[in-house]
Amino acid sequence: MGLWEHIVAGVLAVLLSEPLLGVPVVILMVSGGFLLGITVGATPGLAGPMAMAIALPILISIFGFSNDALLPVLGFLIGIMKGATVGGAVPAILFNTPGTPDAYMTTLDGYPMAQKGEAKRALRIAHFSSASGDTFSDIVLVVCAPFLAILVERYLDLPEKTALLILSLAFIASVIGGSVGKGIISMGLGLLAAMIATGEDFYPRLTMGQSNLAEGIPIAAAVLGVLILGEVFKALEDLHRQSGSNASPEITPGKGSALSRADLRRLFPYVGRSALIGTCIGALPGVGSTLAATLGYTTAKRRYIASKPDYAPDFGDGAAEGIAATEAANSSVSGANLIPVLSLGIPGNAAAVFLILAMDSIGGFNPGPSVFRLGGGIGDSVMNPEMVMVFGIFTSMFVANALNWTIGGIFMRSVGFMARIPKERLLPIVLLLTLTAIYVQETSMAAIWMTVFFGFLGYGMRRVGMSPLPFVIAFILGQNLEATARQAFAATGADPFFLFNSPIALAFILMSSGVVIYNLRKSAP
Amino acid sequence: MKAILKTFALTAALSIVSAAGAVADGTGWKPSGPIKMIIAFAAGGGADTQARLIADDIQAATGWEVIPEQVTGKGGVNALLALKDMPADGTAIAMVVTESLGYNAAAAGNAGIVPSDFAGLTTTAGFQMGVVAKADKGWSSFADTIAAAKEGNLRFGTMSPKLSDLAFLLGEAQGVEFNIVQVAGGKAVMNGVQAGDMDLGFMAGIQGKGVASGDLVNLASALSEPLVQTPDAPTLADLGVQFNADGYFVFVAPGGMDTAARDALTAAIVEAANNGKASAMIEKAFGGAVTIQGSELDALLQSDYEAASELMQAVQ
Repeated sequence: MGLWEHIVAGVLAVLLSEPLLGVPVVILMVSGGFLLGITVGATPGLAGPMAMAIALPILISIFGFSNDALLPVLGFLIGIMKGATVGGAVPAILFNTPGTPDAYMTTLDGYPMAQKGEAKRALRIAHFSSASGDTFSDIVLVVCAPFLAILVERYLDLPEKTALLILSLAFIASVIGGSVGKGIISMGLGLLAAMIATGEDFYPRLTMGQSNLAEGIPIAAAVLGVLILGEVFKALEDLHRQSGSNASPEITPGKGSALSRADLRRLFPYVGRSALIGTCIGALPGVGSTLAATLGYTTAKRRYIASKPDYAPDFGDGAAEGIAATEAANSSVSGANLIPVLSLGIPGNAAAVFLILAMDSIGGFNPGPSVFRLGGGIGDSVMNPEMVMVFGIFTSMFVANALNWTIGGIFMRSVGFMARIPKERLLPIVLLLTLTAIYVQETSMAAIWMTVFFGFLGYGMRRVGMSPLPFVIAFILGQNLEATARQAFAATGADPFFLFNSPIALAFILMSSGVVIYNLRKSAP
Repeated sequence: MKAILKTFALTAALSIVSAAGAVADGTGWKPSGPIKMIIAFAAGGGADTQARLIADDIQAATGWEVIPEQVTGKGGVNALLALKDMPADGTAIAMVVTESLGYNAAAAGNAGIVPSDFAGLTTTAGFQMGVVAKADKGWSSFADTIAAAKEGNLRFGTMSPKLSDLAFLLGEAQGVEFNIVQVAGGKAVMNGVQAGDMDLGFMAGIQGKGVASGDLVNLASALSEPLVQTPDAPTLADLGVQFNADGYFVFVAPGGMDTAARDALTAAIVEAANNGKASAMIEKAFGGAVTIQGSELDALLQSDYEAASELMQAVQ
């Protein structure tokens, strides 16, 4: 079966999925996820990954572990991921409070515009830029992921694959967060946790005789504990310390003009440039949408100063270009960050972590180069079900884009009230939902205690200024790294220097040391 | 009047349901509560699907509530450890492979698992384990493979320590050395062979379609008998290895189980494997149901366990 048959089958898998309430279930799930994502994004204190984390175990308990479950579950998660970046701009513009961290730059021009009575216009610009960036990024994903996968398959043998994993971890540890040392410690802790009770030996190692650990640490317990509980604990403490709120007064969207063709033409170069920046950053593992937004904004600012007419507002005083540059950049991360996920199985940010977690829990889809192999390794006359699944995922992403262009803007302008929900109410709900979700998936109290333990670990890491993301990514890649390294060692006839014998592997290892040393020097005073 | 009719209809319906229940468990045995079915395989794979279908079939046929639960890892040893201390009253069973109670239990000596700790219920299906390579390697017989291995070490993919031992012995018997690459599961061996990370490997049935389409070749049977699909391929015994990879999916319960419970559960599983929704799946994925039960199964598990130590000594 050729590529075309796989594409058609993938599209049909979405469009002809079992109807629920008269709508194909995958499309329904993407829509549900998307609207939930906008709502969550518009709520300061909640973020896309949080909603994805809580939704995942609940979705799995509804859809089960069958192959039919993958697309509806992934569709919902992708919907949340995309909706949240759009929604993040709403409170940024109306309340001067970013709904998601990557919308911080949007407050700089969004809120001043709103103060001038142009709130609705600002929201429209944010939506237009966000949807454009997102669509662009998805197109790049569809074009690039298969080629990257084929390149990996053709040129990388087991030692090179090991070296590539080491390079990804080195990159993530040194780029995320302010300190290379803390990043590496965070990554090391993640690898240590991944070592517990895994490996090829029949004896469950590092469990200290605890039978609850014999199956290893449940991946959901570690990931949700560090990412979600850690955040909730820290936010609760922050609330406790803060007295009174210093929120800016709300501005209602009011009436405003639609964007004219001239507006769009003026904004287009800013959107385009930022979309390109966001896409490139998204494709690198570990560098998230916040950096993309910052880079998009600063690049646009430099451009703008050089070319702006005298009467136009400066960046920071309500320039439409500022909103456009930020929103296009942070939204274009979401498609591109699936490039390393699908072609290498390496997650680049928290949202990608939950997509991998979903694929891993449901089974039947193992992200990596084999996904893009025609015939699935069985024969040319046979469909590769994983490849069909990939095109189903791509189709879901474009369904989300279509929703974004059509109803996204309208829905976005109606969720401003979410920012008024007090965190004192919100955080305990998140805490309870997370623990419930863990119990639904693992059905054991031991898993709950482990989650709470990792929650305190995540809290501690945040307190000392250590990013928990390297921990999570290392935890997810840890087993893969160990298995690949073992296999490479065996395949080369027990050669201890397998990482240094091929030019590509050697280059990856040198780059790994290079990226650590470079970032160490940069952060040194 | 309406109310009376309603009551009557309800009573009639209830009595039919209870009568059907009584017919289903002909032996008269009934579990004292829900049956926990431990599955030693990762969620979503072929083995897991088989177990869950069997659970559905049992529930539909007998009305007993069956709750599947995953306990994976360590080649089924984790599942056996979890099962061992559960009540032997028919409310806990597990699906593993015979290798879990054989080689893996023997290799995990300090885990304290021996076949006599468990009551075997029935096997459900066997593996069509072959030594497989890609057709474009150009090897039409095992002798071609050995000739290639003499020119440079070949990479041999396996999916368990027992199979790694067999690959080692196979190389030794043929006077060559393989670089044995052990991965997690047959799918991973298939991917490795396809991607060129491995030159040949053990596959337990997953190769069927590829061999049929001519993309893969069964070079040898890893069983004591020839493969159904490639009857001409030599067996491991033909190639000078006195051990084989014969193996089955098997349901077990904690040892010391009451005979009535054991018989009723066995009958329910055998019925599902032969005639239920599971049977179609087993036919498609594993080439048909194989149900070895009772004393024959006990003997099989015991002899596998004993053969394991011999195999381990042979590779030392």
